[in-house]
Amino acid sequence: MSAAMISEHIPDIDLITTYGERQDSAVSRASPWTKFILLILIVMMITLTSNLVILIAMYAAILIACFMTGLPMRKILAWYAMPVVFVLSLVGIMAWNQPGVPVLSFTIGGFVLTLTDLGILLVITLLIKALISVTFSLFFLMTTKYAHFSAMISRIFPSPLDQIFLLAYRFLFLTLAMAASILKAVRSRGGGLVRSIRVQGGLFAGVFGLVFIRSFEQAERVQKAMTSRGYNGTFAAHTAIPKPRIAEYGLLCISGLAVIMMMWLVPHAGGW
Amino acid sequence: MAHIHLEDGSFTLVWVLIWWIIALACIGAALWFLRSPGRNNQKLITIAAFITAAAFAVFQINIPLFGGVHLNLTPLIGILAGPVLGTLVVLVINILSAAIGHGGWGLVGANVLVNLSEVIVAYIIFRGIRRLIPDLFSRAGIATFAGLFCGNLMMVAIILISGIQGVTQSSSQILAGLTLIMAVNMGVAVIEALITGLVVRYIGKIRPDILGENHP
Repeated sequence: MSAAMISEHIPDIDLITTYGERQDSAVSRASPWTKFILLILIVMMITLTSNLVILIAMYAAILIACFMTGLPMRKILAWYAMPVVFVLSLVGIMAWNQPGVPVLSFTIGGFVLTLTDLGILLVITLLIKALISVTFSLFFLMTTKYAHFSAMISRIFPSPLDQIFLLAYRFLFLTLAMAASILKAVRSRGGGLVRSIRVQGGLFAGVFGLVFIRSFEQAERVQKAMTSRGYNGTFAAHTAIPKPRIAEYGLLCISGLAVIMMMWLVPHAGGW
Repeated sequence: MAHIHLEDGSFTLVWVLIWWIIALACIGAALWFLRSPGRNNQKLITIAAFITAAAFAVFQINIPLFGGVHLNLTPLIGILAGPVLGTLVVLVINILSAAIGHGGWGLVGANVLVNLSEVIVAYIIFRGIRRLIPDLFSRAGIATFAGLFCGNLMMVAIILISGIQGVTQSSSQILAGLTLIMAVNMGVAVIEALITGLVVRYIGKIRPDILGENHP
């Protein structure tokens, strides 16, 4: 059962994993380390620069890469909902009364609110920054195999954090399926209908409570089963992760140089 | 949402690194505590993993109230897992959330600190007022609201200290805007407190041992 059944605007982990396992494009076959380092460099780049031309160029390049790889663009656009809400709820308020040429102005309760051209530019800039990060994250997830992610987690995080991460990542799919089936059962009995806050709140509290209780029971069962099979607190992922090829090293060097140049340039433009 | 997940590009690189370092120090302390002798790590690790998966799954559910509400249930993580496991759980949840765009990668440090304040305050209040308020619903509701209030204060403090890139308003103007955001967040926090209260009461009826409650 797909997690998409839970919420259409939340990324569907099952669909993401399905695309990750396909491995039918050159990007999919590239080293996960290359994509991981590129993600870090992209985050650094959008943290360092607010130049709209650079940001739009980066966003366009990532979108083209997604399109060329055959990723579901409509789904990705639908999954933008929450990041956009996060950005707008924070910056949407702060954009008012920014210096610049007034575009819109009105008074509420004695306070004059003015939206300027620079205020709108601020919203657009931070929105594009967020979308660059989100799109590349999804691109990374949808072009990398589950086994490679597990192996990367095992190598990056210290114990027992790696154990928690690996087990959580493994059981996420089961828990999502369980939550989806509980919700389906609730909806089939008319639970999706909008009722009073008390009834609706109680209904969903029961669903959440059941998800947590079943998760605890599964945790106990799994722990006993793993211990009986010799689990001693080390759950290692030994999958070999493909190393970057020469062309990938070249791409990383160019991207790294671009970030270093930006770090050198930005202090002159206002500091980092 | 009862709090905001900050997105990439909001803070300068220096502040991104500072919040990451502070968050890593908290995570390091939790790991050191968890590795200390006499703790059943295998069981704790498995429980932490399942709480992470459950919390992440619950976040995906859209509650059809006021046009749709998603709850993080971070205070519930504090109530169920405590501050040590809770620290590791919120880190993993924030990384998983960043992977799907709910909070930036660079801002995981700041977001972990916001969540951590919710976990710690909710845990302390839920355990601290056990004798004063034995009723699970009321206790969990109060602990959740207090946790989310502190989480919001932490978010405001982090934003005021770091500043948002490109925002040229004075601190008082930024504070005024953040106060408005905080007011909206606290409205959602009331819903989250009520639902967490109901969830804890539900868990208390079926599996009181999960909550560490003595009575059956």
